[in-house]
Amino acid sequence: MKEICIPIPYLKDNEVAEVEVVVAGKRIRYDFRVESFPWEVENEFSSLSDPLERSLARIYKLKGAIEGYDKKWELIQIFNPDEHADHIHVLYRKRLKTK
Amino acid sequence: MIKTTDLVKVFRTDEVETTALNKVNITVEKGEFVAIMGPSGCGKSTLLNILGLLDTPSGGQYYFNGEEVARYKEKQRTNLRKGNIGFVFQSFNLIDELTVYENVELPLLYLKVSPAERRKKVGDVLERMKITHRRKHFPQQLSGGQQQRVAIARAVVTRPQLILADEPTGNLDSANGEEVMSLLTELNTEGTTIIMVTHSPSDADKAHRIVQLFDGHIVTENIRQIL
Repeated sequence: MKEICIPIPYLKDNEVAEVEVVVAGKRIRYDFRVESFPWEVENEFSSLSDPLERSLARIYKLKGAIEGYDKKWELIQIFNPDEHADHIHVLYRKRLKTK
Repeated sequence: MIKTTDLVKVFRTDEVETTALNKVNITVEKGEFVAIMGPSGCGKSTLLNILGLLDTPSGGQYYFNGEEVARYKEKQRTNLRKGNIGFVFQSFNLIDELTVYENVELPLLYLKVSPAERRKKVGDVLERMKITHRRKHFPQQLSGGQQQRVAIARAVVTRPQLILADEPTGNLDSANGEEVMSLLTELNTEGTTIIMVTHSPSDADKAHRIVQLFDGHIVTENIRQIL
Protein backbone atom coordinates (compact mmCIF):
# COMPACT_ATOMS: atom_id res chain seq x y z
CA MET A 1 0.00 0.00 0.00
CA LYS A 2 1.55 3.29 -1.00
CA GLU A 3 -1.36 5.71 -0.87
CA ILE A 4 -4.37 6.08 1.35
CA CYS A 5 -7.36 8.29 0.79
CA ILE A 6 -8.54 10.24 3.82
CA PRO A 7 -11.82 12.12 3.68
CA ILE A 8 -11.37 15.55 5.26
CA PRO A 9 -13.81 18.41 5.83
CA TYR A 10 -13.79 21.26 3.31
CA LEU A 11 -10.70 23.43 3.82
CA LYS A 12 -11.16 27.17 3.87
CA ASP A 13 -8.45 29.47 2.50
CA ASN A 14 -5.24 29.20 4.54
CA GLU A 15 -6.53 26.29 6.60
CA VAL A 16 -4.12 23.39 6.79
CA ALA A 17 -4.92 19.69 7.05
CA GLU A 18 -2.29 18.02 9.20
CA VAL A 19 -1.91 14.32 8.59
CA GLU A 20 0.30 12.17 10.78
CA VAL A 21 1.08 8.61 9.80
CA VAL A 22 3.18 6.03 11.58
CA VAL A 23 4.93 3.60 9.24
CA ALA A 24 6.92 0.79 10.82
CA GLY A 25 7.19 2.83 13.99
CA LYS A 26 8.38 5.95 12.18
CA ARG A 27 6.18 8.99 12.61
CA ILE A 28 5.77 11.16 9.49
CA ARG A 29 3.76 14.35 9.37
CA TYR A 30 2.35 15.86 6.22
CA ASP A 31 0.68 19.24 5.95
CA PHE A 32 -1.70 19.72 3.06
CA ARG A 33 -3.34 22.90 1.95
CA VAL A 34 -5.93 23.39 -0.78
CA GLU A 35 -5.49 26.84 -2.26
CA SER A 36 -8.17 28.59 -4.18
CA PHE A 37 -6.76 30.87 -6.89
CA PRO A 38 -8.90 33.33 -8.87
CA TRP A 39 -9.78 31.84 -12.24
CA GLU A 40 -12.20 34.30 -13.76
CA VAL A 41 -10.63 37.00 -15.91
CA GLU A 42 -13.83 38.60 -17.18
CA ASN A 43 -13.54 41.80 -15.12
CA GLU A 44 -9.81 42.41 -15.53
CA PHE A 45 -9.72 41.66 -19.22
CA SER A 46 -13.21 42.56 -20.32
CA SER A 47 -11.99 43.01 -23.91
CA LEU A 48 -11.15 39.32 -24.17
CA SER A 49 -14.06 38.01 -26.17
CA ASP A 50 -12.01 35.29 -27.86
CA PRO A 51 -12.23 32.08 -25.78
CA LEU A 52 -8.62 31.18 -26.64
CA GLU A 53 -7.31 34.53 -25.42
CA ARG A 54 -9.41 34.20 -22.28
CA SER A 55 -8.02 30.73 -21.70
CA LEU A 56 -4.46 32.07 -22.12
CA ALA A 57 -5.15 34.93 -19.71
CA ARG A 58 -6.38 32.41 -17.14
CA ILE A 59 -3.28 30.26 -17.55
CA TYR A 60 -0.97 33.26 -17.11
CA LYS A 61 -2.91 34.28 -14.03
CA LEU A 62 -2.62 30.76 -12.62
CA LYS A 63 1.11 30.61 -13.43
CA GLY A 64 1.61 33.93 -11.66
CA ALA A 65 -0.24 32.72 -8.58
CA ILE A 66 1.79 29.50 -8.48
CA GLU A 67 5.12 31.28 -9.06
CA GLY A 68 4.43 33.74 -6.27
CA TYR A 69 3.39 31.11 -3.77
CA ASP A 70 5.22 30.37 -0.52
CA LYS A 71 8.20 28.16 -1.47
CA LYS A 72 7.90 26.16 1.73
CA TRP A 73 4.95 24.49 0.04
CA GLU A 74 5.15 22.32 -3.05
CA LEU A 75 2.45 21.93 -5.62
CA ILE A 76 0.98 18.46 -5.71
CA GLN A 77 -2.07 18.74 -7.93
CA ILE A 78 -4.08 21.21 -9.95
CA PHE A 79 -7.75 20.31 -10.07
CA ASN A 80 -9.87 20.83 -13.17
CA PRO A 81 -12.25 23.73 -12.44
CA ASP A 82 -15.98 23.48 -13.13
CA GLU A 83 -17.16 25.06 -16.35
CA HIS A 84 -18.22 28.40 -14.85
CA ALA A 85 -15.98 28.39 -11.81
CA ASP A 86 -14.42 31.69 -10.76
CA HIS A 87 -11.74 29.94 -8.68
CA ILE A 88 -9.43 27.02 -9.33
CA HIS A 89 -8.30 24.66 -6.58
CA VAL A 90 -4.67 23.64 -6.19
CA LEU A 91 -3.34 21.14 -3.65
CA TYR A 92 -0.06 21.93 -1.88
CA ARG A 93 2.02 19.87 0.51
CA LYS A 94 4.50 21.39 2.94
CA ARG A 95 8.04 20.38 2.01
CA LEU A 96 9.52 17.85 4.39
CA LYS A 97 12.42 19.05 6.51
CA THR A 98 15.58 17.04 6.94
CA LYS A 99 16.40 16.06 10.52
CA MET B 1 19.10 15.42 -24.50
CA ILE B 2 15.59 16.71 -25.15
CA LYS B 3 14.52 20.23 -25.90
CA THR B 4 11.26 21.54 -27.25
CA THR B 5 10.56 25.08 -28.34
CA ASP B 6 7.00 26.36 -28.56
CA LEU B 7 5.69 22.85 -29.19
CA VAL B 8 2.09 22.89 -30.36
CA LYS B 9 -0.31 20.02 -31.01
CA VAL B 10 -3.76 20.65 -32.41
CA PHE B 11 -6.30 17.90 -33.02
CA ARG B 12 -8.84 18.78 -35.69
CA THR B 13 -12.11 17.22 -36.72
CA ASP B 14 -14.65 18.72 -39.14
CA GLU B 15 -16.35 20.55 -36.27
CA VAL B 16 -13.89 20.95 -33.46
CA GLU B 17 -10.31 22.09 -33.06
CA THR B 18 -8.62 21.17 -29.80
CA THR B 19 -5.26 22.54 -28.77
CA ALA B 20 -3.71 19.76 -26.71
CA LEU B 21 -0.30 21.43 -26.35
CA ASN B 22 0.20 25.18 -26.53
CA LYS B 23 3.77 26.42 -26.89
CA VAL B 24 5.34 23.89 -24.58
CA ASN B 25 9.02 24.49 -23.79
CA ILE B 26 10.69 21.67 -21.95
CA THR B 27 14.32 20.63 -21.57
CA VAL B 28 15.40 17.27 -20.18
CA GLU B 29 19.07 16.61 -19.52
CA LYS B 30 20.70 13.22 -19.94
CA GLY B 31 20.31 11.14 -16.78
CA GLU B 32 17.34 13.10 -15.42
CA PHE B 33 14.17 11.55 -14.04
CA VAL B 34 11.25 13.84 -14.83
CA ALA B 35 7.62 13.33 -13.82
CA ILE B 36 4.83 14.99 -15.77
CA MET B 37 1.65 15.58 -13.81
CA GLY B 38 -1.64 17.35 -14.38
CA PRO B 39 -5.38 16.74 -14.46
CA SER B 40 -7.00 14.47 -17.05
CA GLY B 41 -7.02 15.97 -20.53
CA CYS B 42 -4.19 18.44 -19.89
CA GLY B 43 -1.95 17.02 -22.64
CA LYS B 44 0.41 14.76 -20.66
CA SER B 45 0.14 11.70 -22.89
CA THR B 46 0.15 13.83 -26.05
CA LEU B 47 3.44 15.36 -24.94
CA LEU B 48 4.90 11.94 -24.12
CA ASN B 49 3.83 10.56 -27.52
CA ILE B 50 5.54 13.46 -29.31
CA LEU B 51 8.70 13.13 -27.21
CA GLY B 52 8.67 9.40 -28.04
CA LEU B 53 8.28 10.14 -31.77
CA LEU B 54 5.00 8.24 -31.85
CA ASP B 55 3.23 11.42 -32.93
CA THR B 56 4.24 14.63 -34.67
CA PRO B 57 3.69 18.17 -33.40
CA SER B 58 1.56 20.68 -35.33
CA GLY B 59 4.12 23.40 -34.66
CA GLY B 60 7.31 24.24 -32.82
CA GLN B 61 10.65 22.49 -32.63
CA TYR B 62 11.74 19.25 -31.03
CA TYR B 63 15.45 18.56 -30.59
CA PHE B 64 16.56 15.05 -29.69
CA ASN B 65 20.29 14.89 -28.90
CA GLY B 66 20.69 18.22 -30.65
CA GLU B 67 18.93 17.17 -33.84
CA GLU B 68 15.66 18.76 -34.96
CA VAL B 69 13.27 15.82 -35.34
CA ALA B 70 9.83 17.46 -35.34
CA ARG B 71 9.42 17.15 -39.11
CA TYR B 72 10.97 13.70 -39.43
CA LYS B 73 9.15 11.30 -41.75
CA GLU B 74 7.70 8.11 -40.28
CA LYS B 75 10.68 5.99 -41.36
CA GLN B 76 13.18 8.42 -39.83
CA ARG B 77 11.21 8.51 -36.60
CA THR B 78 11.07 4.71 -36.47
CA ASN B 79 14.82 4.49 -36.99
CA LEU B 80 15.52 7.02 -34.27
CA ARG B 81 13.15 5.27 -31.82
CA LYS B 82 14.76 1.88 -32.34
CA GLY B 83 17.43 1.35 -29.74
CA ASN B 84 17.18 4.91 -28.40
CA ILE B 85 13.77 5.05 -26.75
CA GLY B 86 11.98 2.45 -24.65
CA PHE B 87 8.28 2.67 -23.79
CA VAL B 88 6.37 1.47 -20.76
CA PHE B 89 2.59 1.83 -20.92
CA GLN B 90 -0.13 1.62 -18.28
CA SER B 91 -1.79 -1.28 -20.11
CA PHE B 92 1.55 -3.06 -20.74
CA ASN B 93 0.93 -3.40 -24.54
CA LEU B 94 2.49 -6.84 -24.75
CA ILE B 95 1.69 -9.04 -27.74
CA ASP B 96 -0.64 -11.75 -26.48
CA GLU B 97 0.34 -14.26 -29.18
CA LEU B 98 4.03 -14.13 -28.23
CA THR B 99 5.65 -15.67 -25.18
CA VAL B 100 7.43 -13.56 -22.56
CA TYR B 101 10.76 -14.41 -24.19
CA GLU B 102 9.51 -13.52 -27.67
CA ASN B 103 8.00 -10.23 -26.50
CA VAL B 104 11.31 -9.16 -25.00
CA GLU B 105 13.27 -10.41 -28.01
CA LEU B 106 11.17 -8.41 -30.50
CA PRO B 107 13.04 -5.04 -30.35
CA LEU B 108 16.33 -6.90 -30.92
CA LEU B 109 14.90 -8.57 -34.02
CA TYR B 110 14.00 -5.14 -35.39
CA LEU B 111 17.59 -4.07 -34.74
CA LYS B 112 18.87 -7.18 -36.56
CA VAL B 113 20.87 -8.37 -33.55
CA SER B 114 22.45 -11.80 -34.05
CA PRO B 115 20.67 -14.84 -32.52
CA ALA B 116 23.48 -15.54 -30.04
CA GLU B 117 23.54 -11.95 -28.84
CA ARG B 118 19.75 -11.92 -28.61
CA ARG B 119 19.75 -15.00 -26.41
CA LYS B 120 22.31 -13.41 -24.11
CA LYS B 121 20.59 -10.03 -23.88
CA VAL B 122 17.08 -11.46 -23.38
CA GLY B 123 18.36 -13.96 -20.82
CA ASP B 124 20.14 -11.22 -18.87
CA VAL B 125 17.22 -8.83 -18.80
CA LEU B 126 14.68 -11.52 -17.87
CA GLU B 127 16.91 -12.50 -14.99
CA ARG B 128 17.27 -8.93 -13.89
CA MET B 129 13.51 -8.43 -13.94
CA LYS B 130 13.12 -11.72 -12.02
CA ILE B 131 10.87 -13.18 -14.69
CA THR B 132 13.08 -15.95 -16.15
CA HIS B 133 10.83 -18.68 -14.76
CA ARG B 134 7.97 -17.26 -16.84
CA ARG B 135 9.87 -17.02 -20.12
CA LYS B 136 7.68 -19.59 -21.92
CA HIS B 137 4.39 -18.20 -20.64
CA PHE B 138 2.05 -15.93 -22.56
CA PRO B 139 1.13 -12.47 -21.19
CA GLN B 140 -2.40 -13.52 -20.26
CA GLN B 141 -0.99 -16.18 -17.95
CA LEU B 142 0.84 -13.56 -15.88
CA SER B 143 -0.24 -11.18 -13.13
CA GLY B 144 -0.34 -7.44 -13.85
CA GLY B 145 2.91 -6.90 -11.98
CA GLN B 146 4.64 -9.65 -13.94
CA GLN B 147 3.32 -8.25 -17.24
CA GLN B 148 4.70 -4.82 -16.39
CA ARG B 149 8.07 -6.36 -15.53
CA VAL B 150 8.06 -8.00 -18.97
CA ALA B 151 7.14 -4.65 -20.52
CA ILE B 152 10.06 -3.00 -18.74
CA ALA B 153 12.35 -5.83 -19.84
CA ARG B 154 11.22 -5.22 -23.44
CA ALA B 155 11.79 -1.48 -23.01
CA VAL B 156 15.33 -1.84 -21.68
CA VAL B 157 16.64 -4.86 -23.62
CA THR B 158 18.16 -2.57 -26.27
CA ARG B 159 19.71 -0.40 -23.53
CA PRO B 160 17.93 2.79 -24.67
CA GLN B 161 19.10 6.23 -23.54
CA LEU B 162 15.54 7.24 -22.77
CA ILE B 163 12.55 5.50 -21.20
CA LEU B 164 9.13 7.03 -21.55
CA ALA B 165 6.60 5.68 -19.09
CA ASP B 166 2.90 6.52 -19.30
CA GLU B 167 1.20 5.79 -15.95
CA PRO B 168 3.44 2.74 -15.40
CA THR B 169 1.82 1.81 -12.08
CA GLY B 170 -1.73 2.79 -13.06
CA ASN B 171 -2.97 -0.79 -13.44
CA LEU B 172 -0.98 -2.31 -10.60
CA ASP B 173 -1.62 -2.98 -6.95
CA SER B 174 0.57 -1.06 -4.54
CA ALA B 175 3.20 -3.77 -3.97
CA ASN B 176 3.73 -4.32 -7.70
CA GLY B 177 3.58 -0.56 -8.30
CA GLU B 178 6.31 -0.05 -5.74
CA GLU B 179 8.42 -2.71 -7.42
CA VAL B 180 8.01 -1.12 -10.85
CA MET B 181 9.01 2.27 -9.44
CA SER B 182 12.08 0.70 -7.83
CA LEU B 183 13.08 -0.76 -11.19
CA LEU B 184 12.66 2.60 -12.93
CA THR B 185 14.63 4.37 -10.19
CA GLU B 186 17.39 1.76 -10.47
CA LEU B 187 17.59 2.19 -14.26
CA ASN B 188 17.80 5.95 -13.78
CA THR B 189 20.59 5.57 -11.23
CA GLU B 190 22.50 3.63 -13.88
CA GLY B 191 22.17 6.55 -16.29
CA THR B 192 18.94 6.01 -18.21
CA THR B 193 16.92 9.18 -18.69
CA ILE B 194 13.31 8.70 -17.63
CA ILE B 195 10.24 10.78 -18.39
CA MET B 196 7.13 9.50 -16.64
CA VAL B 197 3.53 10.63 -16.85
CA THR B 198 1.72 9.96 -13.60
CA HIS B 199 -1.26 10.88 -11.48
CA SER B 200 0.40 9.50 -8.38
CA PRO B 201 2.13 12.03 -6.11
CA SER B 202 4.12 9.26 -4.44
CA ASP B 203 5.42 7.97 -7.80
CA ALA B 204 6.26 11.54 -8.80
CA ASP B 205 8.24 11.88 -5.55
CA LYS B 206 10.80 9.49 -7.06
CA ALA B 207 11.58 11.99 -9.84
CA HIS B 208 14.19 14.76 -9.76
CA ARG B 209 11.74 17.23 -11.23
CA ILE B 210 7.97 17.47 -11.50
CA VAL B 211 6.48 19.29 -14.46
CA GLN B 212 2.87 20.35 -14.00
CA LEU B 213 0.80 20.63 -17.17
CA PHE B 214 -2.55 22.34 -17.35
CA ASP B 215 -4.66 22.98 -20.45
CA GLY B 216 -1.70 22.23 -22.71
CA HIS B 217 0.65 24.62 -20.91
CA ILE B 218 3.50 23.99 -18.51
CA VAL B 219 2.40 25.97 -15.48
CA THR B 220 5.26 25.07 -13.17
CA GLU B 221 8.38 22.95 -12.86
CA ASN B 222 9.17 21.84 -9.37
CA ILE B 223 12.70 20.62 -8.68
CA ARG B 224 12.45 18.01 -5.96
CA GLN B 225 14.31 19.11 -2.89
CA ILE B 226 14.08 18.43 0.77
CA LEU B 227 14.40 21.66 2.71
